[in-house]
Amino acid sequence: MPLARTYSVALIGVNGQVVEVEADITNGLVGMILVGLPDTALREARDRIRAAIANSGEEWPLRKITVGLSPASLPKRGSWFDLAIAIGILAAAAKVPRAAVEEVMFFGELGLDGQLRPVRGVLPAVAAAVDAGFGTVMVAEQNAAEAALVPGVRVIAACSLTAAADWLRGTPVCDGSQAAAEYEGGHELPDSRVRGVRRSVSGAVSDSSAVLDGRISRMAVPDVAAAPDLAELLGQPTARRAAEVCAAGGHHLSLLGPPGAGKTMLAERIPTILPRLDTAAALEVTAIHSVAGTLPPQVSLLTDPPFLAPHHTATKAAIVGGGSGIILPGSASLAHRGVLFLDEAPEFANDVLDALRQPLEAGEVVVARLGVIATFPAKFTLVLAANPCPCAKVAGPQDGCRCSPAARRRYQGRISGPLLDRIDLKIELEPVGRRELLSDRTFAESSRTVALRVIQARERAAHRLRGTPWILNAEIPGSELRRTWPPMPGSLAAVERALERGLISARGVVKVIRVAWTIADLAGRPRPTRDDCDAALGLWLGVRR
Amino acid sequence: MSGARVSRVPLDEEKLARAALTYLAEPADPALGALLAICSPAEVLAAIKADMLPGTGPGCGDTPASRAALHRALSRWRTRLPSLPDDEEIAGARRGGIRLTCPGDAEWPCALDQLAQARPYALWLRGNADLRFACSRSVSMVGSRAATGYGGHVAGEMAADLGERGWTVVSGGAYGIDAAAHRGALAAEAVTIAVLACGVDYPYPAGHADLFAAIAAQGLVVSEWPPGRHPARMRFLVRNRVIAALGCGTVIVEAGERSGALNTARHAADLGKPLMAVPGPVTSVQSAGCHRIIREWGANCVTRAADIIELLSPLGISDALAPVGGPDRAWRPDPGADRAPSRDDLDPDSARVLDALPARGGAGTSTIAVEAGVDLDTVLRCLGRLAGHGFIERCDRGWRLRRS
Repeated sequence: MPLARTYSVALIGVNGQVVEVEADITNGLVGMILVGLPDTALREARDRIRAAIANSGEEWPLRKITVGLSPASLPKRGSWFDLAIAIGILAAAAKVPRAAVEEVMFFGELGLDGQLRPVRGVLPAVAAAVDAGFGTVMVAEQNAAEAALVPGVRVIAACSLTAAADWLRGTPVCDGSQAAAEYEGGHELPDSRVRGVRRSVSGAVSDSSAVLDGRISRMAVPDVAAAPDLAELLGQPTARRAAEVCAAGGHHLSLLGPPGAGKTMLAERIPTILPRLDTAAALEVTAIHSVAGTLPPQVSLLTDPPFLAPHHTATKAAIVGGGSGIILPGSASLAHRGVLFLDEAPEFANDVLDALRQPLEAGEVVVARLGVIATFPAKFTLVLAANPCPCAKVAGPQDGCRCSPAARRRYQGRISGPLLDRIDLKIELEPVGRRELLSDRTFAESSRTVALRVIQARERAAHRLRGTPWILNAEIPGSELRRTWPPMPGSLAAVERALERGLISARGVVKVIRVAWTIADLAGRPRPTRDDCDAALGLWLGVRR
Repeated sequence: MSGARVSRVPLDEEKLARAALTYLAEPADPALGALLAICSPAEVLAAIKADMLPGTGPGCGDTPASRAALHRALSRWRTRLPSLPDDEEIAGARRGGIRLTCPGDAEWPCALDQLAQARPYALWLRGNADLRFACSRSVSMVGSRAATGYGGHVAGEMAADLGERGWTVVSGGAYGIDAAAHRGALAAEAVTIAVLACGVDYPYPAGHADLFAAIAAQGLVVSEWPPGRHPARMRFLVRNRVIAALGCGTVIVEAGERSGALNTARHAADLGKPLMAVPGPVTSVQSAGCHRIIREWGANCVTRAADIIELLSPLGISDALAPVGGPDRAWRPDPGADRAPSRDDLDPDSARVLDALPARGGAGTSTIAVEAGVDLDTVLRCLGRLAGHGFIERCDRGWRLRRS
C-alpha cells in the first residue's frame, strides 16, 4: 500500500499539537494535492518540496500524490511541515523505510536545493513531541541546540534532505561519519553559550551579560566596563531604592520626571539586579522567544530576565501579540519573567495601554483568531516612565516649561486608572544638583551588591508565600494582605496620619503595606515594622500630587 | 371581658398569630395597632377569622363610630383570609435563613416600641447579625435614589468610617445613597441593615440582588412584609418610619425638594431622634432638601462620621471616636495616635533628619542623609515618617520643611 505517515507539530501560541502527515501515491493525473487547512505559505510547500526532492537526486514519483494534514480542522501555517511532507512522499514511494519515519518528528523548511532551513518555535514544538511520546526529532542544524534543551529527547540535526534521507536509510556517507549529527537533549551543546539577550523592538541585539555569580562570570564577556550598573545612577538614592524594591517584590513601577533625570537609565538597570531565571522559567522564556523568532543564533537557553522596551508608536498587536497569519507573541509576552519598559508612557495609544490590563491581571495573554485561540504567558514587571508634561522641558527660570497645570494633568491622566491601580511604586526623579551628587557618592551601591539582597528577599518572600498561588509580594491581593499579612501592630501610625491628612488614599495604604513587606524582606525582618512601613510611605509620598 | 389583659397564650402561638397578621394587614394600620394594644395577637387573629369584634375596651369599639371603623377594618383584613397560608406554611416561610422576630423577643429592638400603635406587628429578618445588638449603636442614612457622584462618595465614606468605629448603618434598598451607604459599610466589614418595603426574599430593585445577598451575609435584611410580598408605592412611605426608628439618629445625605428621604427625616423628627443632613453645593438640586431641613427643621449639619458619632454618643463616652480594633485592622491608629505629634515626640533619628533639612528651599535625599549623619535606609524611613506626620513635603529639589 503506497501510503506513508510522518509526524510534525502545529504551534498554537506556545502550545504544540501533534499533526499527522499522510502521503498517498495512487494512479491518476500526475500532480500533488495538499489537504487539511493549509495557508498560503504551506500551499507553496508543494513547489518547494518538488524542487527539493528533485535537486537532492531523489526521484519525484510521476503519479498522483495526495498529502493530508490532520487534524484537518486545525489551521496550519508556514513552511514548518516541509520536511515532514517530503519525507512522507519519499516513504510512500518506498525510497526510505516507512517504519523508520513513523518514529521521528520532523521540523524544518526546505530550500529549492534541498537544504534544510531552521524554523521558529522549535523548543515548544519539541517539548510537545516529547509529551506526545516521540523520543526522536529531526531538525535543521541551526535548530539543534534549541531542540536539545528539552530533556529526554534525541535530536537529529540534518543539513539537507539528502542527509535526512540517508540517516533514515542508515547509509553512512562517504567520509565515514554519520549522515546527521545526534545529540541527547537536556545537555548543553559544546558550542552553545548561556547568554543574555537585550533587545529593543528595532531588533538590535547586544549580548551584554549580567555578571552575578561565578558560573556566569567565567564566560567571555566582551565589555564588562560597558555593562550598565546601578551605581551609575548617582544622585538618585530614592530611585535606586525603588528599583531594588521593584526587583525584589515584583512591584510595577512608575517613573515621573523631566528629561535627563535618569528614568530610562534606571529602567535599563533593573534587569541587572534581577535574579537569573531558574530552569523552568528559562525554558518558558526561551520558548516564547523561539516562537517569536527572536532567539539570537547559537544561543540556546535565555537565563537572563528579558528587558523589552517597545517604542511608543507600537500597536496593540505588537504589545500583546497577534498577527493575521501566524500568531506571534507581543512585547508583553517577550518580557515574560522580565521587565516591560514603556518609555514616554502617555504617548502610547490608549487602546495599547488598556490592552495591558489583561496580562497584568491574569499573567497571560489570550489572542483569538479565526479557528484558534492562542495563549502566551505574560508575567512581567511593568515599568512606566513619563515626563510631567507634553513639552518635555526642564522647569527653569528661563525658557522652561510653560505648560499650564491643566495641560500637565491631562497629559498624566492619559494613563488610565485601572492601569495605575496595579502600580505599587511611583517615583518622581528630580534633576540632580552638584551637592546631591557629592553626597550620594557614599551611598551608591553596585548592581552586584543590590542583586544579592534581591535574591535573598525573593527567597524569603517565596518561603513565606509557600502554599499560596503567589511567589512575589506584588501578586498578593489587597484583601488577602489585610487578612493574612498585616504589619506589626502599631507600625502604621505615620501612614494612618497621612491617611487622615489626605496625603494618601485607602488604596494607597494597601500599596504601602505591600511595599513594606518587600522592604522587610530586603532587610531580613520577619514582619514589617514601623521602620519598614515608614520607608514605604516615604517612597509613596515621594511624588508631588 | 376586661381591656387590659395579660396574655396567657403560649409564645409560639402568639408568634404564629403575629406572622399571620403580617400577611393579613398592611403595616401601621391604626385599627390593628389599637386592637393589639388591648388584645393578644391570637385573639385578634381569631376575631378576624370569626368576623366578630374581640369584645370592648377603652379606646376600642366603645363608641358607635369607632365600632363602625373596626367593622370596616375587619372586612378589610378578611379580604386576604382566603390567601392566608396555613400555620405550617407560615412556619415554613422561615426556611432559607429567614426568621421572625416579635415584640418581647430577645432580638426585638426596643427602639421600635417608640412607634407606639404604629409599631410593626413583627419583623421578618434575613441575615447573620443580631438586630437588637446591631441597633444599639446605629445610624439611619438615607437619601436620593438619583444621587450625584458627590452624594454617593460621601455616603460611602461616612458609612465606612461609621462601620470601622463599630456603628451600624440602617438604610433602604434603593439605588443611589442607600446602596452607597450599604456598600461603604460592607467595605469596612461592618454590620449594615437594609429595611425593605417587600418580602426579604424579594430583591427589589432586581439589580441589587447581589447587594442584598452581601448584606445578609454580613448584616441584616429586614421587612415588615411577609416573604414573597411585592413592593408597592405606598409601602415605601410606611417603611420609612422603621428606618427612622431603628437608627439612633438619621442622616440625610442627598435629597431633592420632594425626596422620599424627607419623609424618613419627618419620622425621625417626630420620634425625637437627632436629625442630621450633609450639605451639598448650594446650586445642586439634589441637595436642596438637605439644605431645607437644615434651615427649616433645624437639622444638624454634619460633614464626617465623627460629627455624627459626637451627636449620637451619650455624654461621657470619650472613646466614641476611636475605631474598634480587630486583628485585621492593624493599621488603625493606636489610641493616642489621634493627636498631632509634636517635634518633641520624634525618635532621635527622625529629629536629626528633620534638623538636617535646610530652613529654606529643599534638599536631596543623600544631602539630608549626609547632613544628618545617618545611612540611606534610615533617612528614607525617617523622611517617610516625617512626611506622613506632616513635618515635611516634597518639592522640586527633594524634600523641604512644611509651613504649618
